[in-house]
Amino acid sequence: MAAVQAGGDVPDLMQAGDGSLIPLLKNGAIQDLTDWIKAQSWFSDLDPSAVAACTGPDGKIYCVPVAISPYIVFVWKDHFPNGYPKTPEEFKQAAEALKAKNVYAITFFGSTAFDGDGATRFTNMLIQSFGGGFDDGQGKMKLDRPENVAAIEFLREIVAAGYVHPSSWEGTTTPFIEEEPMKTAEAASFPTGIFGYRYVNPLKAPNGNEYKKGNEEDMLDAITAGDVFIAPLFAPEGKKPGCGIGVTGFVIPTGAKNPDAAKDYINWVMTKEQNPDWVLGPGGGFPALRSMLPEIEARAPVAKAFYEQAAAAVAASQCRPWYGSLERRNEAKKIIQTAVYKLVKEDPSADISATLKAAEEEYNRGN
Amino acid sequence: MATQVQAKRTAFQTTLQRIQARGFFSHTLPFWLLLPALLIIAAIQFYPGFYSIWLSFQDRQGAVWNFVGLRNFERIFNSAAFRESVGHTVVFLVGYVVVTMFASLVIALLLNRTVKLSGIYITLIFIPWVIADVIAGLAFGLLVVPEYGLLSPILSNPALFPPKGLSITSDPAPRPWIPGFPFPPAPAMYYLILATAWRALPFVTLLILAALKTVPRELIESARIDGASSLQVLRLITLPLILPTLVVALFNLTLGGMNGIGLVFTLTRGGPGTATEVLSFLLYTIGFGRLEFGRAAALSVLIAIINLLLILLTLRVSRTEERVQ
Repeated sequence: MAAVQAGGDVPDLMQAGDGSLIPLLKNGAIQDLTDWIKAQSWFSDLDPSAVAACTGPDGKIYCVPVAISPYIVFVWKDHFPNGYPKTPEEFKQAAEALKAKNVYAITFFGSTAFDGDGATRFTNMLIQSFGGGFDDGQGKMKLDRPENVAAIEFLREIVAAGYVHPSSWEGTTTPFIEEEPMKTAEAASFPTGIFGYRYVNPLKAPNGNEYKKGNEEDMLDAITAGDVFIAPLFAPEGKKPGCGIGVTGFVIPTGAKNPDAAKDYINWVMTKEQNPDWVLGPGGGFPALRSMLPEIEARAPVAKAFYEQAAAAVAASQCRPWYGSLERRNEAKKIIQTAVYKLVKEDPSADISATLKAAEEEYNRGN
Repeated sequence: MATQVQAKRTAFQTTLQRIQARGFFSHTLPFWLLLPALLIIAAIQFYPGFYSIWLSFQDRQGAVWNFVGLRNFERIFNSAAFRESVGHTVVFLVGYVVVTMFASLVIALLLNRTVKLSGIYITLIFIPWVIADVIAGLAFGLLVVPEYGLLSPILSNPALFPPKGLSITSDPAPRPWIPGFPFPPAPAMYYLILATAWRALPFVTLLILAALKTVPRELIESARIDGASSLQVLRLITLPLILPTLVVALFNLTLGGMNGIGLVFTLTRGGPGTATEVLSFLLYTIGFGRLEFGRAAALSVLIAIINLLLILLTLRVSRTEERVQ
């Protein structure tokens, strides 16, 4: 982007997610849209977490969210007939009962594969559920905090108790192997990105029902049939379930020759006629405009139950991007997930606080 | 026709005489002949080398490179990932070189005897060498996938691997004997060494076998007449005579092991956790995973220095050995 601007041939509009917001902002590559976006009729309809994801550390809004990808939990109904646990304590009780039936309560992406991508998934959800986070809001990593320590202690506990499917840690050598136990219901729940379901097929429910189209409709069918339901993650009393979020939308580059035309285009995309197409299309996700949900359900009837349950789960959660104010995200996620992996898998007796402190210091030295 | 040939000869002689007359050109002729090769080497070796060194002192901010001095090196030295991967690299290199050299020597000694169908054995042994790293890595990986790997029923058997079976893909390393040094390594590291040695075995075996064929049979026979045992013949005659070949093999294995990434990438991806994250894989991760080219260049410079030190060490050891012999 900066290279294009240096060349003087700047586009009027660019599709960008929240993931690239901070680097673009730091390089002065995008425009402040705060006043304009707040003046639009659809602004009040935007999901607050999506707006938060588009907001820079200075409190200004720099991108227009169109689609969001929150993190939720897919659950086999037969394994959790009374609903997904609300608290970590409830989860442990339910997990113990499942263990007696040779079922793992949970499977997730816990390996250090893909440069520590696990940090952006279940690790982030759990840490957020416990009220923790990865940054101090000022661009520094802040891992050593009581909430994070409590989350990792909980994780250690459920791993040691045998509630977590072993494949959760095997993604490094066998990518996405953690999805397998969910497919066979050997694991009872699977926290992942909202569209992670697209790859979890075919499915065999605990009651013997099979969903074997071999495509993304298998999970949608299982949800419609009531064999799988969507839930927010559990959280300690008084805390809201954690839920990472990714946002896709638009930015207007600094130096754009026709910013007004770009804004007109954004307004067009945000209309009832256009928005569902954009959200349902490749690179889309869950609508950032809350009022669009019925329209999207109408256009994709096979996914109606999925969207309804996902919306409820997201509404019950506190969704925010995993990285907060951290800029070097690839480095950050590897450092975080490596520390978590070490504490839980490699040396469960290691001092959590000291290990997290060392990890955050390593990142912060690069600031 | 004869006139034409004569004319060509005359022209050639004239040209030669002119070249000889120009003292400068005749004196620098070797240089001009070498120039194309030197230019190619400069383009594909020196330029990237010097560019990497330049890059190692830079950091990219947007489209601009900024000089940051030794900061990239400082960050590498301060990172736990670097320190750990140095340890993993040492464990991997020692294991890989020792296993490959020993196994190759044994196989070469066996093949050096008059064995029936030895040509077929040599052909079969050569197969791993022609298989691409990626394919070898994927094949070895599939063998140990817990859910459906061919070896998984054996590995996961608690009776064979107490107390709860063995998982190459997820079992972490035991507590290190020396704090900070990853030994004993994770099962995945043993497996990686095994796979890498399997790949390198044919080449080293053939290299040693070729050297063994050059050892004069009379020498061995006269040693045997003098009462030398097989072990003494091997230690005092065969090994000293094939030492230069062993050094070449050692070079090849050390540098290949240090810089190779194919099998690590396809077999373990540095995992589980960071248990097999060797320096070359860390370099790949920083450079092409995080696109931090300045820091990756700094690490590549460090790896080049380590390579150089390893070469010097190998040369020194081999010269010492030669003097002793």
